[in-house]
Amino acid sequence: MTAALEVRGLTTRFETRKGPVTAVNDVSFSVQPGRIMGLVGESGSGKSVTGFSVLGLIDEPGRVTGGQVLVQGTDLRALPPDALRRMRGSKVSMVFQDPMMTLNPVLRVGDQMAMAVRVHEKMSKRAAWDRARQALETVGIPAPAERLQAYPHQLSGGMRQRVAIAMALLHRPAVIIADEPTTALDVSIQGQILAEVRRLADETGTAIVWVTHDLAVISSLADDISVMYAGRIVESGTAEQVIGSPRHPYTRGLIDSVPSLHEPGAKLPQIPGATPQLANLPSGCPFRPRCAFATEACASPPSPARGAWAPRPVPSSAGGDMTDPLLKIDTVSKRFSRKPGLLGRGIDRITGRSSESTVHALTDVSLEVTRGEVLGIVGESGCGKSTLGRIVAGIYAPTEGAVTLDGTPVARGSDHGIEKLTTRVQMIHQDPFASLNPRMKVGETIAEGPRVHRIVEPARLRARVAELLEQVGLEGAYADRLPHQFSGGQRQRIAIARALAMEPELLVLDEAVASLDVSIQAQVLNLFIDLRRELDLTALFISHDLSVVRHVCDRVAIMYLGRVVELTSAARLYARPMHPYTEALFASVPTLGTGRAAFHPIKGEIPSPLNPPKGCAFHPRCPLAGPRCRIEVPRLAAPETGHSVACHLHDGGTGAAEAAA
Amino acid sequence: MLGYLARRLAQAVVVVFAMSIIVFVGVYAIGNPIDVLIDPGATQEIRAKLIAQYGLDQPLWRQYFTFLANVAQGDLGTSMVYNIPVVDLVFSRLPATLELVFVSVCIATFIGIPAGLYAGYKPGSLAARAIMALSVLGFSVPTFWIGMLLIMAFAVNLGWLPSGGRGDVGSLFGIPTSLATADGWSHVIMPALNLSLFKMGLLIRLTRAGMVEAMQTDYVKFARAQGLPDRQIVFNHVLRNISIPIVTVFGLELGSTLAFAVVTESVFTWPGVGKLIIDSILQLDRPVMVTYLVLVVILFVLINLVVDLVYARLDPRVRLKGKA
Repeated sequence: MTAALEVRGLTTRFETRKGPVTAVNDVSFSVQPGRIMGLVGESGSGKSVTGFSVLGLIDEPGRVTGGQVLVQGTDLRALPPDALRRMRGSKVSMVFQDPMMTLNPVLRVGDQMAMAVRVHEKMSKRAAWDRARQALETVGIPAPAERLQAYPHQLSGGMRQRVAIAMALLHRPAVIIADEPTTALDVSIQGQILAEVRRLADETGTAIVWVTHDLAVISSLADDISVMYAGRIVESGTAEQVIGSPRHPYTRGLIDSVPSLHEPGAKLPQIPGATPQLANLPSGCPFRPRCAFATEACASPPSPARGAWAPRPVPSSAGGDMTDPLLKIDTVSKRFSRKPGLLGRGIDRITGRSSESTVHALTDVSLEVTRGEVLGIVGESGCGKSTLGRIVAGIYAPTEGAVTLDGTPVARGSDHGIEKLTTRVQMIHQDPFASLNPRMKVGETIAEGPRVHRIVEPARLRARVAELLEQVGLEGAYADRLPHQFSGGQRQRIAIARALAMEPELLVLDEAVASLDVSIQAQVLNLFIDLRRELDLTALFISHDLSVVRHVCDRVAIMYLGRVVELTSAARLYARPMHPYTEALFASVPTLGTGRAAFHPIKGEIPSPLNPPKGCAFHPRCPLAGPRCRIEVPRLAAPETGHSVACHLHDGGTGAAEAAA
Repeated sequence: MLGYLARRLAQAVVVVFAMSIIVFVGVYAIGNPIDVLIDPGATQEIRAKLIAQYGLDQPLWRQYFTFLANVAQGDLGTSMVYNIPVVDLVFSRLPATLELVFVSVCIATFIGIPAGLYAGYKPGSLAARAIMALSVLGFSVPTFWIGMLLIMAFAVNLGWLPSGGRGDVGSLFGIPTSLATADGWSHVIMPALNLSLFKMGLLIRLTRAGMVEAMQTDYVKFARAQGLPDRQIVFNHVLRNISIPIVTVFGLELGSTLAFAVVTESVFTWPGVGKLIIDSILQLDRPVMVTYLVLVVILFVLINLVVDLVYARLDPRVRLKGKA
């Protein structure tokens, strides 16, 4: 049988000021029809460039310099430009990472799809729309005719990615290159898409190259896996072989960096260093400087010491701890409303309609964090977890309720603005590229807070900055560098140093490791675990990643549409989730080492916080919802000590359970 | 949509009122027109009589309300210098300016946007670099200087085109305009080109910047991955996306050119409103100043309204507030 796609010796170079860089170096692989091949690697490994090279879509200053790309036996590289263009979309197509960006925002979905249909097949506009509608049906989009009339911004992220997949499938191509297509999506939506893609590959016989950094996703989806490092494929085989018995030390290291495989709180075995700059690759094996097996000197066991660290016991009813939390979030609600202006109100009165709209970001959230505890806040996008973090840091004022630190409010002010902000809470943001001022030396950035608030004497500032940098695993001499000279992981360390410089009592980490590669993520998580032990940190750890949260948090609060739906110790939550939403979340998350799993993704999409469902907000997606769930909002109650849940199934009431039965 | 329009029009009325007060106070502050108007040797009695005739002895607020009352009756006053109704005066000059601006905006658009698209599509090419160099000249060399160079070249040395003034007026679809005659065109083309250079430079740079940025976006790459030819990508996908800043600048420029084409009109002795306003300021002709400036405000408000409506048409994400 001819392979759907066979790549032989593909090489892509970029001309840079420092000389040519080989981003894809002699890469070969093949994919049979109906099979899914995972192309795994960290950022900068050349996996995406490989995808673009296959389609001949490398922009200047890059150029594919060698190799063959055979699609059903035809070499794309030997085709003239126009013939190659006609292959794209009809024989090979592509799905991109960010569904918010891949569709043209100013054109109707139907127009875009019809354009893609008619470029390869002559037919009337009406017939093309018809074809587009069928394609949307194939990828499981409800009410496809209406979706065609919509503009991209009217669709959710998951829906847009389905549209993109439908577009890739329009002409039944032999191969689809999918470049991180679920990375930007929530886990429940990711689960739905993965299930859909698996079905499509099986039914249509399309071969799929799935480019990703996420081992867990790929191990549950792919038939075969190739691992890329520094532009080369370092290991390939069936999914079972590569995940189950990896042979290359890099693959081994990658798999070991995944938190879900380890005891909570244990230090993660980490790959030292960072992905090398392609401009100056080490000679020989590029992984050598990071490889534990590389030289005789490193012949001793490869994994770094796994410093055991016992998670703190959850304070139970014992003593004053419980009554004296450091952070107290007391029935906090936050609504963002857009009120119409003077004229608008006049017009509203005339027309009898209201143009005021309100987003219910948080509703009645009460949480407590004791000294030295790390509380995880988990939920999908739009659940209000970041809003909560900002309220705790004093950036937003709550609409109702109060946030106090040791009994004093974190900020004084109202909905209209914050007047005075505490320095005792510090925040670490998701994007280390955006959160550091690119024009300030990192030393100045770190020193700014302590200087303004006179936390450190001016004469000692420099020494203190050096000390902080060393504390987060960097060199003191780095203080004079600018942010762009650092990698993502290093910048996140700098952001942590900046937060620690204020000697805060509480840290708020808002998706602080979400944008990092898994090997770098492991390093930053280890740093956090170390710092926590040394400094006795108290923290709110906001994340969408269940495995990361499990690894570093003592207690976890699960949020859905602005409410806390479950709250308990990490160990208990992962052993026995009680809320149907929590259970469904766990079911959606692909885990490493379980092989190709059947997904049970949550049905439907997250409702809009502009107009949350009545009763329990989760009831439209809940398989166990009863009549009571549609009417009455469940309260957060503790059916067992230390385990609270907001669900009618567990509140001792009979309504939901009976209705479900 | 209707609610939105109602709101915008109500806002416009407020703006026009506010502007009329500012203009009124400002004009009052410039000086007393009587000193300019009458013979310095006139007697005190004649002076007092004239002052009373123009109502200049009244307190400012009363003058303003008299003005408003007259406006309500459709009377914007009479020019102190020409002694004809201001409305007639302004509207006798407006068609000339409209012609000039219309031709210059067309030149700027039909040369500027395609040139910018090309320069953005092939940013490294020689032609693109030449276009960009010319665009810099377009808005950095002073207008009057280029105007004089044009006159030197085409009127004085070559003798191809007249050096100034408006040509014969013909009739096009019943509208009297110099664009209906060949002579009219020969008069309008040079000042219009002169007036368009700045706008052309701006449009080239904006279009190029938008194009360069758009060609890097995922939706363009995605369209390429579907096998769409570049021509279709540029005209069906990119052009509409980059048109918002272009429309914004286009609207602003249109307004300011209509209102203040003064320099070009002076260099080419074009009998438009730009010259009229300068003359009336020099002669402290209050009614003309007030009427003209209020007209300009109305013009700007209308252009902005049209620009906003075009936004909503171009970009579905722009939702007009008040649209239920």
